[in-house]
Amino acid sequence: MPDFDAIVIGSGISGGWAAKELCERGLKTLVLERGPDIDPTTDYTDMMDPWEYKNLDRISPAEADADYPIQKDVYVFFESTKHLWVKDSQHPYAVAPDTTYQWLRGYQVGGRSLLWARMSFRLSDYDFNANRRDGVGVDWPIRYADLEPWYDTVEEFVGVSGEDHDIPQIPAGRYLPPFEMNGGEAWFKQKLKTSHPERDFIIAPVANLRRADPQHVELGRGACQVRNKCFRGCSFGAYFSSNSATLPAARNTGNLTLKADSIVHSIVYDPDTKRASGVRVIDRLTKAATVYTAKVVFLNASAINSAMILLNSATEDMPSGLANSSDQVGRNLMDHVAGAQVTGRIPGLHDSHHFGNRPTVGYIPRYQNLDALDRPYKRGFAYQVYANRAAWTGDRPGIGSAFKDENRMPGDWWVTFDPYAEVLPYADNRVTVAGSLTDAWGLPAPRISATHRANERALLEAASADAVAMMKAAGIQDLQINPVEPSTPGNRIHEMGTARMGRDPKTSVLNKWNQCHDVDNLFITDGSAMTSSAVQNPSITYMAMSARAAHHAADLIEQGVL
Amino acid sequence: MTRLNLTQARMNRRSALTGLLAISASGALAACGNGAGAGQTAAESIDLLRYAKPTKFFSDAEIKALSAIADTIIPTTDTPGAVAAGVPDVIQGLASEWGDDNFRQYWREGLRRVYKSLSGETKFVAMSAQEREAVLGAYDAKVYGGETEDGFYRDMKKTVATAYYMSEPGATEELAYEPVPGEWIGQAPISKYPKTWAT
Repeated sequence: MPDFDAIVIGSGISGGWAAKELCERGLKTLVLERGPDIDPTTDYTDMMDPWEYKNLDRISPAEADADYPIQKDVYVFFESTKHLWVKDSQHPYAVAPDTTYQWLRGYQVGGRSLLWARMSFRLSDYDFNANRRDGVGVDWPIRYADLEPWYDTVEEFVGVSGEDHDIPQIPAGRYLPPFEMNGGEAWFKQKLKTSHPERDFIIAPVANLRRADPQHVELGRGACQVRNKCFRGCSFGAYFSSNSATLPAARNTGNLTLKADSIVHSIVYDPDTKRASGVRVIDRLTKAATVYTAKVVFLNASAINSAMILLNSATEDMPSGLANSSDQVGRNLMDHVAGAQVTGRIPGLHDSHHFGNRPTVGYIPRYQNLDALDRPYKRGFAYQVYANRAAWTGDRPGIGSAFKDENRMPGDWWVTFDPYAEVLPYADNRVTVAGSLTDAWGLPAPRISATHRANERALLEAASADAVAMMKAAGIQDLQINPVEPSTPGNRIHEMGTARMGRDPKTSVLNKWNQCHDVDNLFITDGSAMTSSAVQNPSITYMAMSARAAHHAADLIEQGVL
Repeated sequence: MTRLNLTQARMNRRSALTGLLAISASGALAACGNGAGAGQTAAESIDLLRYAKPTKFFSDAEIKALSAIADTIIPTTDTPGAVAAGVPDVIQGLASEWGDDNFRQYWREGLRRVYKSLSGETKFVAMSAQEREAVLGAYDAKVYGGETEDGFYRDMKKTVATAYYMSEPGATEELAYEPVPGEWIGQAPISKYPKTWAT
């Protein structure tokens, strides 16, 4: 008898969903988390006032250089939140010559579900058909219809606040009431309707409870307090995380065993059954080794770590790594790409202000290469749009009471278009074993080789030009056009693609159920599974895939297949 | 209602923390009182407290100069100014226990240079508030008008402003601060919310 029915490797946004679904289907499930447990009363810092922060909440340069030389550049990295990000000094990785990679990570129970930006867009058949249409990468083995019911299920449980709309490239979901537009956004929406009626402008749907429904309250979650401090952890459980939602739901079944401080070394493969028999674990604190066995294994360690676990599970039979007969494990590493912001001043509207700190922003969905592939580049881009009145700043002329008065009054309206573009799957953007470089637990470190290329740059150039045109058409003034400079790979924290789904076992790692072609009781439902990156923020898709695959695995166990 | 409950919860948490600290401090003293003599233990505690204070990087004279500049950038008006809000203490803290030698040197040299530019026959600290405002105002206009290149002055001004608007009086009296808004109103007349939000 195996120790458990199922093992889930990783407690982040996708692992939490696999665990919830497996537990609710009556399966005894072990969740392994490499990092420490999280105690909301001490690890969340959302109840601090600004004057309680030490040193203006800035990490000291010496500590940043020594321990966080990579993580320190994350947009929500502060002295009071640094414990939610890894110490780079303990978690080394190598990069290929002439490449850089920002691997931005949080190792703790809940993983980066505590840190995500919570925007939740569905993919559409424009995305699932993308590789087939333009011939890059392999075809997705699923279509929107396969995932649609699981988006419904996931969104209702998560609690996504968003406006109803009819935009086919980001199908509307089962949403809670939206956070309304502010004055500047409402103004721009009208202007865009006139200048570019075929484009849309919405408030991005976001995994914050605009309203807490009974199923949310049952888990101890409350409504969003509109503080926009989500990156500090939420004492109200108002945004979705594994910690606030899926793990409590899994725990309520009585079927969950959660082990923190459990670093997965490798997956044990039985060549006789051709299945995974268990998982080798190193205790983070004592370094003691243990093997846990189970009928099925879910790998949800995040794209780079999941690939590394497969590569590190190589055996004599499988020298290139577990589930890697296709040689696709670690390849096709994708992110999204940014780096073409345009900012301008909205004239007037000085009578309009707001109350609260809304935890989401405006969004112009992708409008390129949809029904016709008529652009000089592949795929497309969308914009996050930040429209606000200027707040206080020390970087303004003047001193004394005049300086105070100018900061006390909200300033002009300013708007920034921040394009996000799709990244294509390139076989040589990949993760391999670095060789002699190891971490403190003796595990081999990855070597990452990833670059953004001509198509990514072309997307950003077009996005910059379009942003300028839309702003000018709206009458937005004083444009500040950032030079186009693709963000460092990894910088968008959407790493994906390293164990892609596909129809052909020769060219893909996973089938349409996120099940390894080579190992039928091993499922991978984190970002690794992505066959193309689309342009949407990906987490809600990982969640839908995880729930769907776990449901299928439970069916197979019930049928006696697994 | 939520707001009240939260404020209450925060106060309770703070009281509880203060209480815990008090208990552990007296517990430690009581434990040390065994054998060696309570008097010696108390003296040791006082020494520990004294040595636990971080060495202060800026001299009293430097802090005086910094305070005069900071309080001229952000004076006390109908709300507290930079000094009343503790801005010089924050900057002393940054230099003493946070920054590296580059940071310290940048600030010491920059502060001395700016101070010298502001001082003539009468040192800046010896000027009246009106004189300070005239002298610093003229310097500020030169920097922001492009006549004088002074990156340090801009950095200092930004740091003073950040420390001020993150302080309790800066956030809650000068600006408007809502730790737990509880609701979102996307569009409201400025007359209803006339001030900049602190965060």
